[in-house]
Amino acid sequence: MVVRIRVPPNWRAKQFRYRLIVYRCDNCGTIHQWPAIICRKCRSTRLRQSQLPHIGKLLSFTVVRQAPIGFEEFTPYIVGVVEFEDGTRLLTQLTDCEPNELMVGMEVEAVVRKITHDGQSGLIIYGYKFRPRIT
Amino acid sequence: MTTAALEAIKNSAIERIDAIYIGNVCAEILHHQVQLGALASENLGLTGIPSIRIEAADASGAAALREAYLAISSGMIRTALVIGVEKLSDGLPEEIVSITSMFDKYEYTGYQGFTQASLAALLYRHYMERYEVSQENIAQFPVIMHENASTAPHAQYQFKISVESVLNSPVVSEPLRRLECTAIADGAAAIVLCGEDALEGNRDEAIEVASVSMSTDFVSPFDREDPLKLSAVSIAFNDSLTRAKIDRREVDIIELHDSYSILAPLILESTGYSQEGRAGIDAKNGKYSLSGELPINTFGGLKARGHPFGATGVYQVAELYLQLVGQAGKNQVDNAKIGVALSLGGLAATAVSTVMRAR
Amino acid sequence: MRTLVKISGIAIHGYGGYIPKLRIKSEEIARIWGKGEGELPVKEKSVNNIDEDTITMALEAAKYAIARAEIDPKKIGAVNVGSESHPYAVKPSGTVVAEALGIGPSILSADFEFACKAGSEAMQMIIGLVSSGMIEYGLAIGSDTAQGRPGDALEYTAAAGAAAFVIGKSGNNVVAEFEASKSYVTDTPDFWRRDYERYPVHASRFTGEPAYFHHTISAVKMLLDEEGYKLSDFDYFVFHQPNAKFPYVAAKMLGIPSQKIEAGMLSNFIGNTYSACSLLGLVKVLDEAKPGQRILITSYGSGAGSDSFVLKVSEGIEDKRAKAPLLTKFIQRATYIDYARYLKHRDKIRV
Repeated sequence: MVVRIRVPPNWRAKQFRYRLIVYRCDNCGTIHQWPAIICRKCRSTRLRQSQLPHIGKLLSFTVVRQAPIGFEEFTPYIVGVVEFEDGTRLLTQLTDCEPNELMVGMEVEAVVRKITHDGQSGLIIYGYKFRPRIT
Repeated sequence: MTTAALEAIKNSAIERIDAIYIGNVCAEILHHQVQLGALASENLGLTGIPSIRIEAADASGAAALREAYLAISSGMIRTALVIGVEKLSDGLPEEIVSITSMFDKYEYTGYQGFTQASLAALLYRHYMERYEVSQENIAQFPVIMHENASTAPHAQYQFKISVESVLNSPVVSEPLRRLECTAIADGAAAIVLCGEDALEGNRDEAIEVASVSMSTDFVSPFDREDPLKLSAVSIAFNDSLTRAKIDRREVDIIELHDSYSILAPLILESTGYSQEGRAGIDAKNGKYSLSGELPINTFGGLKARGHPFGATGVYQVAELYLQLVGQAGKNQVDNAKIGVALSLGGLAATAVSTVMRAR
Repeated sequence: MRTLVKISGIAIHGYGGYIPKLRIKSEEIARIWGKGEGELPVKEKSVNNIDEDTITMALEAAKYAIARAEIDPKKIGAVNVGSESHPYAVKPSGTVVAEALGIGPSILSADFEFACKAGSEAMQMIIGLVSSGMIEYGLAIGSDTAQGRPGDALEYTAAAGAAAFVIGKSGNNVVAEFEASKSYVTDTPDFWRRDYERYPVHASRFTGEPAYFHHTISAVKMLLDEEGYKLSDFDYFVFHQPNAKFPYVAAKMLGIPSQKIEAGMLSNFIGNTYSACSLLGLVKVLDEAKPGQRILITSYGSGAGSDSFVLKVSEGIEDKRAKAPLLTKFIQRATYIDYARYLKHRDKIRV
């Protein structure tokens, strides 16, 4: 089997993808999507684990029709940016909706979904997506 | 690349090349070739000299130029050959889409199916929302590109287009349309750089590289403080002006990195040539046309001249050379003395600004 | 020979249900396969979105159960997902569900399989684990993205959904107390799937009397007789619902007034969610039941067997119910798709 999705980097990213666990700088509040040793904004080393909110507002969105390798079966799918109350932004897929149901500014909430899989025998990748708020 | 390189060397009348710098993105991915530098020197019959490949996504060509510039400025070498090369048609379209998704932070965005086009589209919608402008404004730019390319012999697409045809072309990733995105392209461009004291023969045909500056930004645009401010562009541009000791108003031509239509207004606004949200209106009023106040992309830019990733940065500088030495044919901008090439890696995670000046 | 019957001191601390948004009408499936309107076993069924599977649905239902239980996820000592559509044949669904909810790592997490009663078996096991003191809380989940062979009778009902329960020792603030349970299992091949086969096989009419009815009725009768319950002791009866008819027939056979099964009847609108099926009926009942009321829920899994539980609703239910969305929210959130899109989502198109 030709491995397209490698185990180690995807395993390392679990907590971010499943639970939106990020690394936040105590000094300036900048978040990092993986374990940062030094803040990318202010270079402080005072970083700690934090969890992003699970509800935010949709800042922008678009539809992917020409997919990268591994995503062909999912097209057309919606991607977008979510903005949280503190100004942090997160890039995400949008699910359980059609493009015409989306509006900039609408409330969206996090769910965990299947992102992709490596053919019939390889790894299945799960991760966060956002959907129009129902709960 | 051998063809372009040999021609450049011949035209330069430089006897001895001290080093080679190559801008290229896809060598390992599409051609199973690493160590492109050594392969190039072998192909050129220049085995023995230092030769290296530089990669900075689609700013690779400009980044390679910068390395050559720094090496010559340091005095360690006197002459250098800078090549930009890319052969994207060796790959399948879906492979190229996948490759451009690597220009962003792959483990954050590529893994979940983002493509570079969709990221550009997110910026595009955000731009329209914030500044309350219609898509028509941004569609001006591909029209300018194709207009200029129609008289450019080396351009990929030499047909003119209209704003309507842009807005009616197939949707790539709303609001981005097909005629707002670059297509798969192959190409190579080469430049011979040398120190002042190494200029031989043809001194009249030498154009000064006044400065080359580079800056970086957070790789993924929505991680930045303001996604619509390309700070890597502002920093590199301003630094290059300072080092060249010129004011922005002295710039006669800009070759800018319009891999997606929306990048043109973002670049023009980040360099202060248009106010925020108004680059489209300025374009509509003719400011950026070939005969306008500040011509951009005089041979068609990335959209119409073509965008073979690693070659583009070198194309931009080579085209400025043609303008400044008076060899731009039907696309000649009169009295062009100073030109700036702005090359981006991805969505401006890297920016290189090169100031060229007629001697 | 008694399996565990009387239960004391074990309660449901939290419960949750999840149903995907998409629906396909039976008449749409019938349109393609030429079946008559009078022969349709349910009106419509739920279809998982292309990015949903047993794990993602289990996770969402469990999230609501934990929210209602109001406990630190780290106190959960077992996460067991029962399904016949586990995404991996080897690698438990529970491992992903646990990590995604911040549970573990000192936990048990094997997968359960027993056709449509895999979830209720998980429930029995967790009651055992809690009773023994091995764990403080356990998460029992039934979740399925059931597959029906295109054109087969079961295609009309094979649906997708998940139900989850946080179970622990009784306390002041719980949803409902277990009073008793009975399991009844025999080797009865009414429906099965061989290893590596894509779709299950069923024995048509054999799935009725010797299978569903025999096991359901036996479990219920044995439980009521051994524990001395009368039918009038119960306010709600929930049955496994492979179609909209069987539960009414079972009720009649047992002498249960049909209005007592109405609240837990879902399959006409969402189809048969297999391992989640009767458990979602229980979720629906818990969404409206009052403290002091008694529920009898009986699952059925082909192969075959039934688990029957007696639950007494507690004072804490009203408060806890409000801590997560009611199931009707998911039932009402429905977008209809056509057969082509259904095939795409259910991965039935051979590429």
